[in-house]
Amino acid sequence: MNITFLLNGETVELADADATTTLLDWLREERGLKGTKEGCNEGDCGACTVMVSDENGSRALNACILFLPQLNGKSLRTVEGIAAPDGRLHPVQQAMIDDHGSQCGFCTPGFIVSMATAHRNGARDFDDQLAGNLCRCTGYAPIIRATRSAADQPVPDWITDAPVTATANRFMPDSSDALAKLYEANPDATLVAGATDVGLWVTKGLRDIDPVIFLAGCSDLKQVSIDDETLRFGAMADMNTVRAAIADLHPSYAEMIRRYGSVQVRNAATIGGNIANGSPIGDNPPALIALGATLHLRKGDQRRDLPLEAFFLDYGKQDRRPGEFVEAVSFSRQTDRLKCYKISKRFDQDISAVCGCFNITVADGVVSEARIAFGGMAGIPKRATSVENALIGKPWSDDTVDTARAGFDEDFAPLSDMRASATYRLETARALLSRYFAEDRGVAGSVLEVQP
Amino acid sequence: MPDTLQTPAGHVRLGSNSGQPMTRRDGIAKVTGTATYAADNRPDRLAHAVFASAGIARGRVVSLNVEAAKSHPEVIEVITPDNRPALHLDPDGKSHPFSWRIEALQDNTVRYAGQPIALVVAETLEAATEGARLLAPEYDTDPARIGFENGEAYDPPAVGIGGNPSFSKGDFDTGFSNSEHRIGASVDTPAQYHNAMEPHAIVAEWSGDHLTIDTPNQAIHLARGAFAGYFGIPPENVTLRSPFIGGGFGSKAILVGPQILAIMAARMVDRPVKLVLRRDQMFGPVQHRGATRQKLRIGTDGNGLIKALEHEATASTSSFDDFIEGAGNASLNMYASPAIVARHSAVRVDTGTPGPMRAPGEASGSAALEIAIDKAAEAVGMDPLEFRLRNYAETDPASGKPFSAKSLRECYELAAQKFGWSDRPLAPGQMRDENGMLVGWGMGSALFPAPMFAAQARATLRRDGTALVETSGADMGQGAWTALAQIAADGVGLPVDRIEFMSGTTDQPDAGVAGGSGHTASAGGALFEAGSNAVQKLADLATADPESPLFGAGNTGVEAREGRLFRADDESRSESYADILERAGLERIDAMGSGGRDPANTEARAMFSHGAVFAEVKIDPDLFQIRVSRLIGAFAAGRIINPHLAKSQLTGGMIWGIGFALHEEGIHDLRSGRPLNADLAGYHVPVNADAPHVEALLVDEDDPYVNALGIKGVGEIGITGSVGAIANAVWHATGKRISSYPIHIDALLS
Ligand SMILES: Cc1cc2nc3c(=O)[nH]c(=O)nc-3n(C[C@H](O)[C@H](O)[C@H](O)COP(=O)(O)OP(=O)(O)OC[C@H]3O[C@@H](n4cnc5c(N)ncnc54)[C@H](O)[C@@H]3O)c2cc1C
Ligand code: FES
Ligand code: FES
Repeated sequence: MNITFLLNGETVELADADATTTLLDWLREERGLKGTKEGCNEGDCGACTVMVSDENGSRALNACILFLPQLNGKSLRTVEGIAAPDGRLHPVQQAMIDDHGSQCGFCTPGFIVSMATAHRNGARDFDDQLAGNLCRCTGYAPIIRATRSAADQPVPDWITDAPVTATANRFMPDSSDALAKLYEANPDATLVAGATDVGLWVTKGLRDIDPVIFLAGCSDLKQVSIDDETLRFGAMADMNTVRAAIADLHPSYAEMIRRYGSVQVRNAATIGGNIANGSPIGDNPPALIALGATLHLRKGDQRRDLPLEAFFLDYGKQDRRPGEFVEAVSFSRQTDRLKCYKISKRFDQDISAVCGCFNITVADGVVSEARIAFGGMAGIPKRATSVENALIGKPWSDDTVDTARAGFDEDFAPLSDMRASATYRLETARALLSRYFAEDRGVAGSVLEVQP
Repeated sequence: MPDTLQTPAGHVRLGSNSGQPMTRRDGIAKVTGTATYAADNRPDRLAHAVFASAGIARGRVVSLNVEAAKSHPEVIEVITPDNRPALHLDPDGKSHPFSWRIEALQDNTVRYAGQPIALVVAETLEAATEGARLLAPEYDTDPARIGFENGEAYDPPAVGIGGNPSFSKGDFDTGFSNSEHRIGASVDTPAQYHNAMEPHAIVAEWSGDHLTIDTPNQAIHLARGAFAGYFGIPPENVTLRSPFIGGGFGSKAILVGPQILAIMAARMVDRPVKLVLRRDQMFGPVQHRGATRQKLRIGTDGNGLIKALEHEATASTSSFDDFIEGAGNASLNMYASPAIVARHSAVRVDTGTPGPMRAPGEASGSAALEIAIDKAAEAVGMDPLEFRLRNYAETDPASGKPFSAKSLRECYELAAQKFGWSDRPLAPGQMRDENGMLVGWGMGSALFPAPMFAAQARATLRRDGTALVETSGADMGQGAWTALAQIAADGVGLPVDRIEFMSGTTDQPDAGVAGGSGHTASAGGALFEAGSNAVQKLADLATADPESPLFGAGNTGVEAREGRLFRADDESRSESYADILERAGLERIDAMGSGGRDPANTEARAMFSHGAVFAEVKIDPDLFQIRVSRLIGAFAAGRIINPHLAKSQLTGGMIWGIGFALHEEGIHDLRSGRPLNADLAGYHVPVNADAPHVEALLVDEDDPYVNALGIKGVGEIGITGSVGAIANAVWHATGKRISSYPIHIDALLS
């Protein structure tokens, strides 16, 4: 593929770039820019963080799971491009020195780029902005301090890049129509959205995924529309965009997404990819199922809609035909009754052991509707129908909840694995229903929010 | 606490550089990405190597598709046991206490999953990776032995590196059976992996019989000798460069097989070769903290005085080498008891060989001991701090020797006060926070020995008024580039900005090992002495020179400061180093120095750093998610050269305590023996959200015996004490005693 991007202010044109060469390998091995580090090569550590900007702003991304074609039309800054060309330090760099944010220093370039990106975006949620960078030495506090102390200084002018025009490529369609045609004609191609899954197939699984279709150029697929009736997310909406869009309407969902991967992962990962991959532990499907979402699929000019839960047929098997892709997911505007609980072993950067989403409507003291969906409890994201049935039409009371709790044993037969035992998973599911009830009743206020 | 500590009296006087909270001298290099780590080197004609990892834990490789790998474009060479060149030393031999048996393709045996079984060298990393995949090994598989139940038990001749496997003083049985209160505790700790952020890496290049290697290393000269040994060349022929180490924690102190393979490959293909381990390859050939299974018994009288203390530990090691966590020995030096027994046994399992990992022995042992102590306090009905004070050891419980210095009482006091310990209810399950979370407070005592290693340094005073100081120090994050330069500057009597500090390669004199928290003391001592010796030579020149204002002052009658020598009895008579050298017609004057400890003191005193750690946990009452909301420790570790660096080390260690207590655990599939979580998504190290408030306080301590500079280490002690404090806080929140680490949310389910 032929691509054009800016690297630390300098135009780079690559002819015939390999579709699955990662930016990290290219930077270090071909370009000789060795400041960007490799700590894991699978998106877990942030040592490879780079800043990628386009007309939508600047994002921190993990270079180890970013394929070169995803950079087409973007400007890229690595740690080498954070200080001024004349050597003047960026405020976050000076602060890291002053606050002793670097010990062995191996994680430092990644932190610097995350910090500079957050600084450029004026972000103030320092803990969240840096949650995707691991450090084995410092214990983080000095790094957070440094980020805070640099926050008020102006963004240095050298960080801003001129816009770049992407080079056109056949396998990089620029609209969903173009994608529809191309994919129908090449149903064996691998679609790459944010590459947070596909990247690992290549770097870890050493899979050959040719031919590849990159969706990054389909700007219409990134659209989020919210009207009085419906919320609709294009498949390419990334998780940070989704989070911002629902922050006011469904704050609990947004809070769950805050703990989804890390900034870097959320900047890349798309809602379409999170659904299409069919993972039993994806965090969006349970929330969306609880909201009664509809999935919009498209193949060529044919479109079809189905309830999201119907898409997940079995472990590793989805209702998607050759050449068909996820175009969007939508759900109705509704009074917010949704609570999402992401239970993981570690507080940040952890895949859910259990992700439980509850959407229970009560009218005149009686449960009128209940949609409860879980991830991590079965081979697919799945509704707790027995529990739902035990609630619907019953008074919204302690007794009803107590009785309904038993339904989880009918709905799920979870497995024990590294993250949690089957017993813990079931126990947690039951506890979450009680917690939803308690929170709803205002028992102890919103107190028993799942921390953090 | 002031940022600058007062220099204690009693040992050598340091100048104005030591004790300052200087920022790191390598700060700019690190924040701009120009600090060079081993994998960043790209010499001309570089070839890339990738090793194929065994997919079984025990058996033999019966076939490798070398043809397929070799015919892959850009593959240069495939090395297997069939074509591997001979090594000068047996990789299964043990030439000295710091050498491990390694895998260097000596035969087709597989001893653990992840073991290197072949090496592919190619023009590119991709081609080498693909070549390794194409080898598609087939195996003759024997059942894997994983876990204490399935391994082969034996009595280890030593624990740690040369440590005693058993110890006994007094009559435990009588003491225990006569005790009013008797408790027992069983605590398991899992295999843990160092997982420095920088994976192991090496770039090796031969030039005739001379070998140049870039590889992160914590003991540069020791490694030089070892590398030379394997390849049958004199040590002088090896240049090893390790200016920056991206975290070591013990795993980069000892040679590992992949390094030898890369050097071997470089010789075979006659090109420089780079080999960088993938993260998953960090879970096999590069050591780990071995699992332990510990049992403790403590007997006390009615007043809470310990009468008998027993600590038994079983540790796992590999099937082919021995590194036994000396966990039981953590009970030898902390609490006073008339009867103490420590015993170790070992079990061989099919994993890679363990090795020292931040606070080896002490971390695992303290994690169990502090739980047992807490249980004993509970049995007596005493506050855990009061119980620990009641059993405060005034002299070393194991040897009876006096401590070189011990300020643990001050640590308890400072940390407890800062934490607010006095408000703690005695019974568990009493506290809730405003969000309904269960709250618990626990504590642990911290201790770590203060070893020293032989170390050398050179100091050169130059006519331009600067000095060059050199030692092969290793900076893996602790700040050697800074702290050692501060000490060196005081040694030569110059401000630190007039010092050129050369370190991190074999071109400098041997700085010993950066391990055991003894590096600053050892290398620092050498640097200081080298500087003092050089200044002494200068003073000899000046005082013997009738043209010098210092003439006749006598050797002891001058003081060095800010690049000048002053008459001790008359400050107005002084002369600059530059002038003295100039008149003598010398460009420079140099001297060597060595670090060490007065053997008489070693004989007479017990030497440890001490500390106290207090933990607060908050636990969700239904979901049992645990958060360490506060961790506050106070530590006394002799003289502090740079309070910033020391606190960084201590808090870093405390965070490791959080990892140990709540997260870190290498899990192997019982059947296949393969690691199940060999990545950073599955092997959890603490993230920022896990450590909302971690604070290390420093207690001034003047230790006149530990070494001339009065320095002890701070690198490892932070993890000890912290783990037990967290477990004890979990008990205090829930009433549930922990019997294995990490503490799983599952374990709190009733
Ligand atoms: C470090 C890390 C942390 C993570 N943490 C979490 C987490 O906390 N919670 C969670 O749920 N997930 C997590 N993930 C998983 C991952 O981020 C998600 O599954 C992600 O949403 C996938 O989206 P993507 O755009 O990156 O998909 P890609 O990797 O590009 O694609 C994923 C799959 O979907 C297909 N696909 C993509 N778009 C479409 C489309 N429009 N139509 C049809 N098929 C399509 C691809 O062909 C591929 O099969 C994590 C991943 C990493 C690396
Ligand atoms: S190298 Fe770890 S996230 Fe990229
Ligand atoms: S400073 Fe060593 S990993 Fe962060």
